[in-house]
Amino acid sequence: MVLLKNLHPPTEGVRHEQAETTAVMDGQRLGCGTLYVAETRLLWFDGSGLGFSLEYPTIGLHAISRDVSAYPQEHLYVMVNGKLSDENEAEMAEKAADDEDEGGSSSDDGDDDDDDEGTITEIRFVPSDKASLESMFSAMCECQALHPDPEDDDSDNDFEGEEYDVEEAAAEHGHGDIPTFYTCDEGLSALTQEGQATLERLEGMLAQSVAQQYHMAGVRTEETKADFEDGMEVDAAAMEAGQFEDADVEH
Amino acid sequence: MVFSSIRERTIAENSMVVLLQGLQGEVTTVDLRNESTARGRVVSVDAFMNIRLADVLYQDRRGQLTRLQDLFVTGRNVRYVHIPDHVDIMKTIQNQLSKIHRVRNFASEGGGRKEFPKKTK
Repeated sequence: MVLLKNLHPPTEGVRHEQAETTAVMDGQRLGCGTLYVAETRLLWFDGSGLGFSLEYPTIGLHAISRDVSAYPQEHLYVMVNGKLSDENEAEMAEKAADDEDEGGSSSDDGDDDDDDEGTITEIRFVPSDKASLESMFSAMCECQALHPDPEDDDSDNDFEGEEYDVEEAAAEHGHGDIPTFYTCDEGLSALTQEGQATLERLEGMLAQSVAQQYHMAGVRTEETKADFEDGMEVDAAAMEAGQFEDADVEH
Repeated sequence: MVFSSIRERTIAENSMVVLLQGLQGEVTTVDLRNESTARGRVVSVDAFMNIRLADVLYQDRRGQLTRLQDLFVTGRNVRYVHIPDHVDIMKTIQNQLSKIHRVRNFASEGGGRKEFPKKTK
């Protein structure tokens, strides 16, 4: 079990400081020192600067224990995921490097393995001032909340972006009734015959609208498109000279 | 509800966490990922599913029982949260969402900015 040396108090972001606090790690009493609940990490060390620090993402839970039948002293209980040892630290450093090489794909597996094995470290902070336990607990709650889990399984937490991507949803759920929009050539193959015809007609309109006169109530094209399947019947006769008896266009 | 930011409110509004937030005051059991359980009164649940319980009976993996006055478990370590039988889930969710919307529309209630009146139909 490794204790770091020459630890110094954090310079800023200290939410709570508790002196005369004994630290007990996995049943082993480490001595009496000062606990610093800082926004960046949890720090404990004794008078000689010997101690340890904890990163909030590694802390699974913390609690106030006042049940002296379970543990003789009232204390702040902290459960850390994984083991605090230099062997583990080396392993974790290697694992992190491996994860980076693999593009971080196995980082979840690595962490889950650790958790699934259930390896935990139990730390008890026993202050001489028992009344301070609430403040210590609250400070830890606040700091813990500053470190939300980055590897959240639920990846839908990013709501800065689009709320609902129709194409994504269609791809995921395979719903045929959700309209799918194609904006590039790959979509051409997905057109039905009717769709193809509509596309040709529309493209024809676009091509000819530049040079041609056209009437407001109808579409005038040079060639009569035989395959108008969309139900819009254009009365060619009515378009001559643009004269209409009434404004209604018969469809 | 504990919302430190607009982001948290948005996260909660769009996930089932709102249901857990509606359990405030209820006594329930939280199953942790490390096979232990904690039963106590829900004090608060934040958008990241961090849960704070009070008057807790904690049972570790080996079955050993401990009483804890206050407990804070990180969302990552939560496996299940038991919803008490008497809780109406739909109603709870609707209540929570309406609370969120009340807060969001606070400024517009009673008129809000008068220079841009809402169109009346």
